Amino acid sequence: MIQKLTFAAFVAFWASVATVLALSALAPDSVASDTDALPEIDAETLAGHASLDDCWMAIEGKVYDFTDYIPKHPTPPSIMAPWCGREATEGMRTKGYGRDHSPAAWAMMDDYLIGTYVD
Amino acid sequence: MTPLQARSLIWVLALLPAIVAVVMLRESDLASPEAVLNYLGRLTGIAGLALMLAAAILSCRVPGFDRPFGGLTKLWWTHHQLATAAFLLLLAHPILLTLAAASVSLDAAVATLLPSGLDWALWTGWGALLLLMLFLGPGYRFFGEPDYQRWKRLHRLAAPAVVLALIHTLYLARTLPWLWEAVLWLGLAALAVVSILYRFSWSRRFGRRPYRVARVVRPANNVVELELEAEGPALTYEAGQFVYLTPRDPSLVAGRGEEHPYTLSSAPGETGLRIAIKALGDASRAIQDIAEGSRVQVEGPYGGFFPQRSSPDAPELWIAGGIGITPFLARARHLAEVGEPVDIVLIFCVQDEARALWLDEFRELATTLPGFSLHMHYFYENGPLDSTFVGERCPNVETRTAYICGPGPLLGLAQKVAHELNIPRSRIVTEEFDLL
Ligand SMILES: Cc1cc2nc3c(=O)[nH]c(=O)nc-3n(C[C@H](O)[C@H](O)[C@H](O)COP(=O)(O)OP(=O)(O)OC[C@H]3O[C@@H](n4cnc5c(N)ncnc54)[C@H](O)[C@@H]3O)c2cc1C
Ligand code: HEM
Repeated sequence: MIQKLTFAAFVAFWASVATVLALSALAPDSVASDTDALPEIDAETLAGHASLDDCWMAIEGKVYDFTDYIPKHPTPPSIMAPWCGREATEGMRTKGYGRDHSPAAWAMMDDYLIGTYVD
Repeated sequence: MTPLQARSLIWVLALLPAIVAVVMLRESDLASPEAVLNYLGRLTGIAGLALMLAAAILSCRVPGFDRPFGGLTKLWWTHHQLATAAFLLLLAHPILLTLAAASVSLDAAVATLLPSGLDWALWTGWGALLLLMLFLGPGYRFFGEPDYQRWKRLHRLAAPAVVLALIHTLYLARTLPWLWEAVLWLGLAALAVVSILYRFSWSRRFGRRPYRVARVVRPANNVVELELEAEGPALTYEAGQFVYLTPRDPSLVAGRGEEHPYTLSSAPGETGLRIAIKALGDASRAIQDIAEGSRVQVEGPYGGFFPQRSSPDAPELWIAGGIGITPFLARARHLAEVGEPVDIVLIFCVQDEARALWLDEFRELATTLPGFSLHMHYFYENGPLDSTFVGERCPNVETRTAYICGPGPLLGLAQKVAHELNIPRSRIVTEEFDLL
């Protein structure tokens, strides 16, 4: 009984991993990573989007519109709020207790990219 | 505390970190389907790691520590269940986190699942999980019937798996306040380390007692009873307990230096130990030719099959199958020494009379020990054991505590019989000779 259950779970695990990999191999590239084509955004414009309802951040030279992401972020929105409308690389690199975000988190950001940052 | 309560307590303690994580649930963890998936992903990680560490802590095998849990075989069973629960949860863990990330994009999902570059947090997680599959898999017969000794060596991969899982967790933990995380994981890890060190270092050196094979008796052509003499401080034990026996005889063709569990068939009052061994595999076959005078090591005692005392006020039903007679042999020898009245019915199941071990000794005990009666059940004659057979030979059967020991199929059958005869589950006690 337990043997069958664990074996089923084992097979299901690898099937899921294979599915994710197959999907990502087959799906068309979602984001154009061509930053040249993106608009330039300066600090002043950035500062105009400093609330949770309209939240942009500059991180490592790029600007992201995280408004839609805020509800998905694992921490309460209040943790992200102070970084809205600002240069937020530090926040990204030292979340919580001084630790960097995971590569997964960095990979997610591409989906919210809207421009390059000009100081 | 009953053994069942003691084992339940272990589960509660092992699930404590997950319980804390549930108590500290934040509103944002439930804000959206993907937040819930991510939270469940973290929760399965926390529960899985804690169960894994609990299983590691239970592996220490300290003589006496197993008693409140109903004996070491029951504790091993709990250890298996903890590890199995951990395995199932940890298989779900990366998948749940990946699904949660998929709400952002497929790329985010892939980046959550697969490490890139020097992403130690994910590499260590994957390392731990793959090791887990490798050493747990054979226990679930993923790759056919395992060879016990090979599996036992493979099982050592548990140590690096736990270390990798801990590194992974210290990188990524964020569900509990960090002080909690640190105290919890480092505390549990420290316990696990102490437990493993005890098991593989201290007990190897100081827990194994030196004995010498004084005499080898042959009750049948595939069974030997070894009589051992202490070469140092003697072991104290109760009837029905077992030890891990490590033979050192250099002339053994198999199993030299390997530890195997065997029941002590001697009464605790005897000088020296007796161990009866049936040839069931290569090591136990080889030991049939062990040299008199050779050295062995004995570690234990373990198990708690019988209660500390017997009396006519607590009547007993014993059901033994084949070599599963050994704990009953020890107990009967002990009761004969003590000489107080008892109320015990023994049903001894074997295929035919030729295979009934120690039959003369038991027949003699049945005449000398007041209140002890023996009934033979021959499979070739009587068919499978059933409740009519037992009921007819055993007065007031429903008032008795049933003690059952034998090979797997008989164990199941005898439990069913005891149940049919209205013996409540709390009064059915079993001992398994098979640990995997
Ligand atoms: C609590 C307990 C008490 C036992 N008492 C007795 C006894 O009094 N007399 C007796 O003859 N046998 C007893 N056994 C069974 C005995 O331990 C095995 O028959 C023996 O270990 C077989 O080893 P092998 O290499 O000859 O056989 P293998 O071919 O390796 O294995 C045969 C079976 O024995 C089990 N086994 C093998 N090695 C081990 C090991 N190191 N630890 C645990 N199980 C193992 C496996 O489940 C396997 O399926 C007892 C077992 C347990 C758990
Ligand atoms: C034996 C194997 C593993 C164990 C014991 C384990 C355990 C844990 C634990 C305890 C956490 C921290 C949860 C928290 O406190 O917040 C965690 C987080 C995490 N684990 Fe694992 N893990 C294992 C394998 C894996 C694997 C194979 C992956 C691969 C995808 C993985 C991916 C992650 C991720 C991405 C996080 C961070 C989740 C987040 O913060 O959103 N883990 N793991």
